[in-house]
Amino acid sequence: MKDMDKNHFESLNKCSRCGGCQAHCPIFYETGREPFVARGKIELLENLQSGKLTWNDKLADIFSMCLLCGACAENCPNGVPADKLVMMARKDLVANNGLPIIKKNVFQHLLRYNGRLNLAGKILYLYQKTGLQKLLRISRVLNLMPNDLAKIERLLPEVASGSFRKIVPFRSTVDNPRLKVAYFTGCVTNLINHNVGYSILKILKACGVEVIIPKQGCCGVPAFASGDFTTGKFLGEQNIKEFAREDVDYIIFDCASCLSTWLDYPELLESEEALKFSDKLMDVNRFLVEILDIKIECPEIGKKVTYHDPCHLKRTENGKKAPRELLSRLSPAYEYVEMGLADRCCGSAGSFNISHYRLSQKVANRKVKSIKESGAEIVTSACPSCMMQLSHALKNEKSDVVVNHLVELVAGCLQ
Amino acid sequence: MELELNTVQQIIEIVGEDNVLTNLEERICYSYDGTFQRGIPELVVFPANTQEVAEIVKLANKEKFPVFPRGAGTGLSGGSIPMSSGVALVLTRMNKIKEINSEDMLAVLEPGVITGHFNQEVEKLGLYYPPDPASLKTCTMGGNIAENAGGPRAFKYGVTKDYVLGLEVVTPQGEIMHTGGRTVKNVTGYDLTRLLTGSEGTLGIITEITVRLLPKPKEIRTALVIFDKLEDAASSVTAIIRNGVIPATLELMDQIAIKCVENFNHLGLPLDAEAVLLIEVDGGKNQVEEDIISIEEICQNHHCRKIHIASLAEEREKLWKARRAVSSAIVQLKPTKISEDATVPRSKIPEMVKRLREIASKYNLHIPVFGHAGDGNLHPNILADKNNKEEMERVQKAVDEIFHAALELRGTLSGEHGIGIMKKPYLQWELGEVGIEYLRAIKRAVDPNNILNPGKVF
Repeated sequence: MKDMDKNHFESLNKCSRCGGCQAHCPIFYETGREPFVARGKIELLENLQSGKLTWNDKLADIFSMCLLCGACAENCPNGVPADKLVMMARKDLVANNGLPIIKKNVFQHLLRYNGRLNLAGKILYLYQKTGLQKLLRISRVLNLMPNDLAKIERLLPEVASGSFRKIVPFRSTVDNPRLKVAYFTGCVTNLINHNVGYSILKILKACGVEVIIPKQGCCGVPAFASGDFTTGKFLGEQNIKEFAREDVDYIIFDCASCLSTWLDYPELLESEEALKFSDKLMDVNRFLVEILDIKIECPEIGKKVTYHDPCHLKRTENGKKAPRELLSRLSPAYEYVEMGLADRCCGSAGSFNISHYRLSQKVANRKVKSIKESGAEIVTSACPSCMMQLSHALKNEKSDVVVNHLVELVAGCLQ
Repeated sequence: MELELNTVQQIIEIVGEDNVLTNLEERICYSYDGTFQRGIPELVVFPANTQEVAEIVKLANKEKFPVFPRGAGTGLSGGSIPMSSGVALVLTRMNKIKEINSEDMLAVLEPGVITGHFNQEVEKLGLYYPPDPASLKTCTMGGNIAENAGGPRAFKYGVTKDYVLGLEVVTPQGEIMHTGGRTVKNVTGYDLTRLLTGSEGTLGIITEITVRLLPKPKEIRTALVIFDKLEDAASSVTAIIRNGVIPATLELMDQIAIKCVENFNHLGLPLDAEAVLLIEVDGGKNQVEEDIISIEEICQNHHCRKIHIASLAEEREKLWKARRAVSSAIVQLKPTKISEDATVPRSKIPEMVKRLREIASKYNLHIPVFGHAGDGNLHPNILADKNNKEEMERVQKAVDEIFHAALELRGTLSGEHGIGIMKKPYLQWELGEVGIEYLRAIKRAVDPNNILNPGKVF
């Protein structure tokens, strides 16, 4: 851990090894193994730091076993930022040993270039629409593959037919707009679930807000989380450059992970420029509640709805409060019920659900249980990546519960 | 000593490959507890049941390797640290609550059950298991029995040993033994249940536990009392007891402890106060009201600054979260924590507090004081940096003096953490040569090959 900065190094010292993190770590809950909890990883980091250990496959394996959900850091009596430390460790690993070959291809060749990402989306679309997917599933060819490939293949979301950002105009405005926002759509809304994007445009139009959708790429979180800071920085700097072109009141996000990455840009990119945006960044739900104070005349539908806290949203300002407040404003269309352990990680964690499929599903199944117990017909969230994970896990459990982004419900009430 | 490959293979055959860790990276994660002690085991093993535990211990006697039983690894005396050899035997897979019986008022459970989880489960049935060590959200019942853990409620309700009715134990030679039973009264033979409770993993491996339960108290009130002077807080404690009020808990935090917790919890505790008392009373409604009024009067007579009464569960939980965070949070001051639990007769609390302050200033050390003032069990914690040799020498002298003070006031070295590795050198001060030899004789008799947790206690 040569280039670990002073702050992070000092935070290692703050861990008293009390083991309190065991009570909060979803991975420890499933595995009961000390290397996978924050305390174990911190002991390992100290050993790396002092040179008693060096990176090898086993250690890389251990450090891949973290959802970066931050539950340990949030509950640590000393505020040890174990999630950040794991990310730093992954960065150090990549600096020493490079990226695993698959991730390398995805990050450095696909993620960096919007065109290629769009193309990948199209190929996936064709795969799904031409019947090739159906054919492969029926023929059970996938079942012959190792490592749960058949199940993982089902994690692939049904992609939309193109890029959302290419379909909608750069600027959507109204007469005398009360505010102007820039919308960071994130990759999932852009390529997979256009409906979230359309919902946001519809709501903001109804509220008299001008929306621009600047040129943008991936926020970089898959790269940062895997320790590929070079790609992450490249993406972050591009985004900052594009969003600096036109002045807006707020930059809004429908994806908790994108928002949290943007909030971390100043630190991750070590950039003064990024700091200027900090006050403008806002989750769309919070924007609707706090800035627009949205009032919705709702038809009486009376469906029970529950809400899942994305890890990346719950720790931001009012990240727990705002979405719930928004949901409660959808009464009597929807009746909001809180599920047990709503703020527990769903186990998606970016590509963790692919690299550690079974474990990730175990974590998700706790969530499914909570959702079922709540009696809700719809589970909402504010992170497209959580939504994919929840859909998959609910489908596996043969549940009829529908997964929606909160803004989809809001837009639906604006008939 | 190194484990033979053949031995490792046999262990794998007993518990299965998935339940044995051999890599250095994984073993390092079983080299520590809540102290700064370290010892990397040669193998980490997760048995599933009593039978597997017994087979491993039998093999250990045959092949002569040490076995270090452990639960969640939250101990504060180095009691579960593998002494850089042998097998760390992790009992967390054995985590079933087998029975909660409302008629016999008892529960039967495996050692890996998490204490806090057990508390919740019995409370759902209107029952109560009082021992509540601060680490209750992570620590295991097996560990609690092995260390005879206490906690804040000990003042009124006693400690773990007061609730253990019976045990199933794998002996140091790998036999399966049952002690005690399902009755409160039981004088059949020596009281082996009590001997094993607090035996720190040296006399047997606990594989099943039967504990006594109480009815859950109907009402609880929590008072947070703020004092300008630490001495006033300490003397309030003795006055409350003298007035015949028995709070469920009577916790003290000094100024340094308050500051550390406040850094994390932001409860709005006053940073200029020298001490706070966290007092909880429980029982019937009238009793609780009466007790709280008496406590208010007494604290006011002892010049408290302010009293805040919490009755809502969430509000109380917030106060307790702060209290439970103290032991971890004080590491903010310096990275190495030497956590003591020297305990004195309750009337000596003011004197002990005074002496601790003198020791802190004499050796120029951070010694935040907090703990269970009601039962005389304070937790002076020395914060230092283990890489600073000169400072560690001062720490050593301070520890010596703390123990001297506790014994001089007719107290004990350890109220609830156990002797483990950390307090081994001082055992003789309290027990004398005869006492230690008695312990050794018992150990030799039941564990002739010195297999179970060697190097601990004495």
